[in-house]
Amino acid sequence: MTATIALPLAILLPLVLGTAVAPLAARRARAAAVWTAAAVTAAAALILAAAAPPVLAGGAVQALWPWIPALGLNVALRLDGLGLLFAGLILAIGLLVILYAHYYLGSRDPAGKFFGLLMLFMAAMLGVVLADNLLLLVVFWELTSVASFLLIGYWSERAESRQGARMALAVTGAGGLALLAGVLLLGAAGGTFEISALAAARDRVQASPLFPVALALVLLGAFTKSAQFPFHFWLPEAMAAPTPVSAYLHSATMVKAGVFLLLRLYPVLGGNAPFEYAACTVGLVTMVFGAYVAIFRHDLKGLLAYSTISHLGLIVFLIGLDSPLSAVAAVFHVVNHATFKASLFMAAGIVDHECGTRDMRRINGLWRYMPYTATLAIVAAAAMAGVPLLNGFLSKEMFFAEALGMHHLGVLGAVAPYAATLGGAFGVAYSARFVHDVFFNGAPRGLPRTPHEPPRFMKVPVEILVVICIAVGVLPALTVGPVVDLAATAVLGGALPAHSLALWHGFNAPLALSMIATALGGALYWALARKYDLHLHAPSGWTARLLFTRALDGLFAASARLTSALDNGSLQRQLALLVTTAVGLGAVAFAAGGRLAGARALLPVTPLAAAAWLVLVAAALGVVRLHRTRLTAVILAGAIGLVSALGFAYFSAPDLALTQLAVEVVTTILLLLALAALPRTSPRESGPGRRARDLALAGLAGAGVAAIAFAAMTRERDSIAGYFLENAVPKGGGANVVNVILVDFRGFDTFGEITVLVIAALGVAALLTGMVTHRPATDPAGRPWSVQRVPLVFAAAVRWMLPFALLVSVYLFLRGHNAPGGGFIAALVVAAGIATVYMSEGFARTERAIALDYARVAALGVLVAAATGAGAIGFGRPFLASAHGHPALPPFGEVPLATAALFDLGVYLAVIGATLLMLVELARVPGRDAE
Amino acid sequence: MSASDLPILLPAYGEILLLVLASAILLVDLFLPERLRGLTHWLSLATLAACFVLTVQVVRATGGQAAYTFGGMFVADLMANVLKLVVYAAVAAVLVYSRRYLAERGMLRGEFFVLALFATLGMAVMISANHMLALYLGLELMSLCVYSMVALNRDSATSTEAAMKYFVLGALASGLLLYGMSMLYGATGTLDLTQMAQVIAVGQVNGVVLVFGLVFVVAGLSFKLGVVPFHMWIPDVYHGAPNAMTLFISTAPKLAAFAMAVRMLVNGLIDLAGDWQQMLVVMAVLSMALGNFAAIAQTNIKRMLAYSTISHMGFMLLGLLAGVVGGNRFSAPDAYSAAMFYTVVYVLMSLGSFGMVLALSRAGFEAEELDDYRGLNQRDPWLAFLMLLLMFALAGVPPTVGFYAKLAVIDAVIKAGQIWLAVVAVLLSLVGAFYYLRVVKLMYFDEPRDAGPIAPGRDVRWLLSANGLAMLVLGVMPGSLMALCLVAVQGLYPLAR
Repeated sequence: MTATIALPLAILLPLVLGTAVAPLAARRARAAAVWTAAAVTAAAALILAAAAPPVLAGGAVQALWPWIPALGLNVALRLDGLGLLFAGLILAIGLLVILYAHYYLGSRDPAGKFFGLLMLFMAAMLGVVLADNLLLLVVFWELTSVASFLLIGYWSERAESRQGARMALAVTGAGGLALLAGVLLLGAAGGTFEISALAAARDRVQASPLFPVALALVLLGAFTKSAQFPFHFWLPEAMAAPTPVSAYLHSATMVKAGVFLLLRLYPVLGGNAPFEYAACTVGLVTMVFGAYVAIFRHDLKGLLAYSTISHLGLIVFLIGLDSPLSAVAAVFHVVNHATFKASLFMAAGIVDHECGTRDMRRINGLWRYMPYTATLAIVAAAAMAGVPLLNGFLSKEMFFAEALGMHHLGVLGAVAPYAATLGGAFGVAYSARFVHDVFFNGAPRGLPRTPHEPPRFMKVPVEILVVICIAVGVLPALTVGPVVDLAATAVLGGALPAHSLALWHGFNAPLALSMIATALGGALYWALARKYDLHLHAPSGWTARLLFTRALDGLFAASARLTSALDNGSLQRQLALLVTTAVGLGAVAFAAGGRLAGARALLPVTPLAAAAWLVLVAAALGVVRLHRTRLTAVILAGAIGLVSALGFAYFSAPDLALTQLAVEVVTTILLLLALAALPRTSPRESGPGRRARDLALAGLAGAGVAAIAFAAMTRERDSIAGYFLENAVPKGGGANVVNVILVDFRGFDTFGEITVLVIAALGVAALLTGMVTHRPATDPAGRPWSVQRVPLVFAAAVRWMLPFALLVSVYLFLRGHNAPGGGFIAALVVAAGIATVYMSEGFARTERAIALDYARVAALGVLVAAATGAGAIGFGRPFLASAHGHPALPPFGEVPLATAALFDLGVYLAVIGATLLMLVELARVPGRDAE
Repeated sequence: MSASDLPILLPAYGEILLLVLASAILLVDLFLPERLRGLTHWLSLATLAACFVLTVQVVRATGGQAAYTFGGMFVADLMANVLKLVVYAAVAAVLVYSRRYLAERGMLRGEFFVLALFATLGMAVMISANHMLALYLGLELMSLCVYSMVALNRDSATSTEAAMKYFVLGALASGLLLYGMSMLYGATGTLDLTQMAQVIAVGQVNGVVLVFGLVFVVAGLSFKLGVVPFHMWIPDVYHGAPNAMTLFISTAPKLAAFAMAVRMLVNGLIDLAGDWQQMLVVMAVLSMALGNFAAIAQTNIKRMLAYSTISHMGFMLLGLLAGVVGGNRFSAPDAYSAAMFYTVVYVLMSLGSFGMVLALSRAGFEAEELDDYRGLNQRDPWLAFLMLLLMFALAGVPPTVGFYAKLAVIDAVIKAGQIWLAVVAVLLSLVGAFYYLRVVKLMYFDEPRDAGPIAPGRDVRWLLSANGLAMLVLGVMPGSLMALCLVAVQGLYPLAR
């Protein structure tokens, strides 16, 4: 099988087959799930073994599938010595854990979920160790975090599981994100994400200004994953996981991912002072700290967790050292630690299983109940302590040798031997405690169950691992030697220096240190157990965890404060923010260097203009001041409109002035009618502080707009007005430019507008139907409102006025195309006239007199306009194209006429209909007192 | 066949069809008896499907090249067509998700469908606008429909309040936008985006007026995108609107807003990139920070997702601001396509998450409190799994597609040399991951509080499954969608040279 297929297949098997089939199989029987998982694992191992021969010969095999080329993300897999070693660990220990879990899980634990997640995790881990693309590695890396989150939280009904799972995910997931950032920087520095290519471009990468940041971020990722101080606290919390999970994730795989990453990236990142100092310091501190804390744990798995932290520190320290032999030692210790720690976790699981507790203050003297398991555990613990003839001894020996040889690191180099010895002594002490407390030290105290030997096959995985510990310890060169060499060669990227993995190197300094550490550790435990009584020690090493939870609580509180400060749902505040930001942005843009006044000369201020301006300002201020008394405010607003109309007239735009005037009158009447449905005054809802703020904001925004208007108007600018002025007569056949624009140039717009107007009027009518207002029956003085009392003079005047209004309207309509006027204005004049009649004659009488259905009038108007437009199509012209001429119309003589006038008729009718419809419907709303 | 041989209106065929069919539905619905109301639903879906097919045909006919119509005001380039296809699909999904919800609350009336379709038309116009007025027209058509959709439940005080706020703020923002547009017109003498780019490129334009206009245009734009400091409406509107409307607002309009940003900033104003990129940096960082930090404390999932939207839009801005580096545009296609990919992916994620809220709701129960999600795994493991995928995608956890969206954007930012920005973005998405994972924790690790039935219709269940699994499938195979975004962006006028 070629590597191109074998490598992806080895990952896909557990990922797809394992994850999907194991839960399905578990529905039939638990054994089926176990067998599926085991078969998938074994198959993956066989596939990798089939691809391995070139690797064993010292080479590497690769597989490359394009995935997302746009991002530089390829499925680039590479199996070299290092990958082979880790993949072997993952699969071999995985197989043992599956067997162990079969007996460990209770009958009510969902087996499908367990094995499915385990397969997912295994696939992710294989992906991490086989990836040759950094982005791919990050993908699998995060997948291990997610899978471990779900595995740790497997017993979701337990609070400690949930807590542990969350913390593990928070820390390792965060580290993964840091790693992602670091990887992206590395890719930017090296121009590729392929690890082998990056290693080739090592000098360029390390010379890049991005390198220090990238290094820090990658180290952060590795340290969080491998539980290095001060990110170690998630690992003890994760002990809430089922023990098979701990045995797998927290000895051999998950926590080794960080170590693996450092080894894998050593050719890219390593060999410089920052890397060396960072890794060595953190590793050494972690090693001593973890070992020290481990002595005082009463929880069996807690002790093992801190021991793991300590050993991981040791490995990180070795990787950091810039020495070829230290790389060999690191790889070697990875294997050794995986074997003895996995067996210890399994043993701890058996103890937990049999005793129902993991508290070492209660489980004592188990030797009598389970001598066989005890023997296995004691051997493994001895390997952990570094007792000769066991694998732990060999790598620890190498560690001491390296710690003695780091003179180039200054103070760190001077401290290292002492720290290493101290750490070794602590290691012996906690191993001694583990053995002594659990298996000896009197009798058990109040155990929930009576312990005895576990099922036969539950012990098999432990046996196998312990045998490996011994075999490696006695004959290192014959057992793991070749694989370790292959892996170390892959890390160093070149030939290994001469060395030998052997039990006996003669009496030398490392051996002396080892003996000192053992003696010291034994004495320490003896002293602690006898003089101090370890069992009375109250655990207090929770500071990091406390900090973590405090930080989370603080985050929640800060978030709640932030939300309540920013987001109180007040529209006023939101508007204030929006306006402030806009004004601020404008000011910033303007501060970039702008001149307010343009080149255009200002017009002189005539007394008339000044007076009109003063009226305008006074009326505007009046509206703001008096807006609570609505009637006054509407009247004042009307005044503003009138002054604007005068302004248009003053600037020689009579057509605009007329339009404005007509609109103003009708809208004021409409508003006044609408006021009848509202209270007389609006309540005061804001305090003086807010009003001051609003005044300031309004002033600022107003000033800003005024400034921009000023800037715009003092500059010369081509306006589109010129075009219309020139073309109104030749193309539109009318001298009233406003009207020509309305009915001809922008006829389509007008057509849309009258349609909207009519729809709006119908909408108003529909809304008002059936509405009842709460009009008071009496005026504020307590007198009843008179039903109908129109001044006689007013009524008499109106009767005369209506015919005139209609006449004026027709006049305005007919002259509209050339002189100020037009359908729109004419319609408003009619509307205003009829509205006055309603006021003077009373609603009922007028309605009887003018029996018009305004909705129909409005609809007719729209139809006329549409028909005019469509008529043009009949003549082969586009919709609404106009024609004009000057037919003679006796007795008026020659009348300038355009088809636009017909369209204008449509506008006329539509506006009359719509306006009066609204007026009438508003007036029709009955007051409550009417019944 | 060259572009000149095509029918003049061909680029807008999709929109024209949508307009005609939506108007027809408006009329048909008037005369439908109450028991046949479901017909409107199916007609609307058919309309969207027809528009989808027609748009595909337009792409075929134009060969993916940019085609202009309405005197250059309307452009159908590949980006426009791709975004429109996503919009049609997203709106169709919204209709399917919300049918039962609306029916149970008496809101399944013709107004909803007609407003949704006209809003869709507005979005399509925005997406295809090559002229500021066309853009504004589309924007207002969409916004006005959406305002009324928020208020569709007239009897609900919170809904009407939300609609009122949305309308007032939206009107103000539109004002700012128009204001900026008129400034730009004053500076360049044109509203046509292509011409505007040419005028600015020549370099004889009053810089202050231009920047002034730019500032207000960006402000108006930011409001529609909902990024800080123009985000205030988002939490209130998302929370106050009926769930179905929240689903609508949070999905398709985001695509339109993205298109609007690209049209204005890239098509029209790319020569001012130095100025607007700085503004976007500030807004992106503020949005990611505020969105993520404020989301943590929310107890209502709609409000949480509202703040999450703010942060996601901020993240998307990172792609937009990484295009032009020191005046050269070599990396612009990568950066803008990353932003486009992010937006499309975000819309898919948002569809799924709010779709889930709708699927879990029932008469008298809105399923909008986070507590309602406790123990979902025990009540309905499949829906819980889908929600897990969606939350992982929102958090950016691999191998869901959310990860690649974030990756592409951050990659673009790093290529633009803004290292600190990339680091900030990564750190802030870490904060974001926190509250999404809290939902996962609630679903999987906690005991259920609510014991009511979970009975989404079969159509909803299928669609939701497809939507959730898309997170995974696209996560494994994001290549083609990314490539599509890249090709689409490369066809943009200023980048095609």
